[in-house]
This record gives sequence, structure tokens and C-alpha cells, in this order.
Amino acid sequence: MKQEPINYSNIYYPPGGILMWIIISLELITFGMAIIAMVYSGKQEPDLFHQSRMLLNPIYGIINTILLLTSGFCMAISVHYLRINIPQKSKILLLVTMLFGMLFLLVKTFEYNEKISLGFDINHNLFFTFYWLLTLFHVIHVIVGLVILGSVYFGLRNKKTTIEDVEASASFWHMCDLIWLFIFPIIYLFF
Amino acid sequence: MKKSITISYIFLLLLTIISGIISGTINKNISFIILLLSALKFIGVSFYFMDLKKAHTFWKSIIIGYAIALIIIVLMI
Repeated sequence: MKQEPINYSNIYYPPGGILMWIIISLELITFGMAIIAMVYSGKQEPDLFHQSRMLLNPIYGIINTILLLTSGFCMAISVHYLRINIPQKSKILLLVTMLFGMLFLLVKTFEYNEKISLGFDINHNLFFTFYWLLTLFHVIHVIVGLVILGSVYFGLRNKKTTIEDVEASASFWHMCDLIWLFIFPIIYLFF
Repeated sequence: MKKSITISYIFLLLLTIISGIISGTINKNISFIILLLSALKFIGVSFYFMDLKKAHTFWKSIIIGYAIALIIIVLMI
């Protein structure tokens, strides 16, 4: 594997690459605006949002936060091992990262199943419209992240993936953490 | 580096558990505290997991500025 030292303190070379950081910035702005819209709507109908929020189980949110943070931790260590040229450990940690990502999706599936069976679908009220839109868009990002990590894993196995590719993929995966870290308190705890 | 990532991971878990515990308490400042803890986690993930602490000040400022701006806007609404 070709490895060249990168000067991350250069404005054009943030860890993960400038293109990935442009994507991350746009995603954060988009989700940020959706969060602001939800809070604004919540201030118009505080009772509805509070009662609806009480119908959610914050334990799901806390478990999912812990799963995503653990997944992000494994990803960061995986990149660290790749940088110090221990690809074997890096690959194992990449698989563990994906495992925790899949566990996140599993918990989300249980939660969605529970909400649908109770009739709290996207049309139930404005709070649940925001709940479904924000969390489903986030889930789509997690699924895309898992596909990217899977391709990186096979690239590492076949020695076709560079460390820059792994860092860019890791940045995308961490972006899912970043988005969730604001979605979780706003949906499950704020109102 | 591995040590700093591990310490930040433990710190992030603690902040998550604290957020869950205090969300059940009745306090007029609880929204601000929950958002502040989220912003700390946000900065922790970006600086230690994404290695942004090594990046140019511009990128660090964008992340810190985003977290502060979001908190201020949400609290002002």
C-alpha cells in the first residue's frame, strides 16, 4: 500500500479530504435547518410536541447513541492502525465498526416497528412527521456509510484501497455520528 | 493517539448517560444543558475521532461555529 505523509494543517487537506468535508458541511447545514424547523414548529405547538415526545422511549435513543459512538471509536482506531501500518488489526476493527452500525439499524427497526404498530406513522401529527423524516434520512446515511465501509474492507483485503480512501470513508461514517448527536437530544429529550 | 481516542470515547459515553439522566429532571435550564452536552459530544467526535485537531484552524472554526450557532438559534426560537 502506497503511504505518503499528508500535512493535515494545510487548509486544502483536512483529514478525509476537502471534497468529503464539503459534503459533510452541506449535510450538517441540511440537517441543521431541519432541526431548526422542528424546534420552530415545536414552539408553535408546545403541548402537542411534549405529549408526542413522551410517547418515545429515550432508552432506544441512548442505546443507539452508544452504538454509534462505539462504532465511531472502532473506526477511529481502525484508521490509526492503518496509519501505523498494521492492516490486519485495521480490517478487524473495520468489521467491528460495521457490526455496530448494523446493530444501530437493528435497534431502529425494533423502534420503527413499535411506532408503526401503535399507529404513530408519518401522518400521525407534526412531531411524528419530523421524527420519521429526520431519523429515516439519517438511517439512509447509515446504510450508505455501511456500503462504503464494506467496499473499503474488500479494497483493503485486495490491497486496492489507499489510506486516503479509508480516511474519507471514515469521515463519512463519523458524519453519521455528528448528525445523530444533534438529532437524538432534539427528538428524544428536548420537548 | 490511541489513548486520546479511548479517553474521548469514555468521555462521550459519560456525556450520553448524563444527558439521559438529567433529561428526566425538571429545571428551566435543562434544554440548554442537554444542548451543551450534545455540542461537547459533537466537538469531541470531530476533533478526536475525525482527527480534526490536526486540521487547519478554518475547519476547526467551522465545526465549533456550527455547534455554537445551532445551540444559539434553537434556544432563541
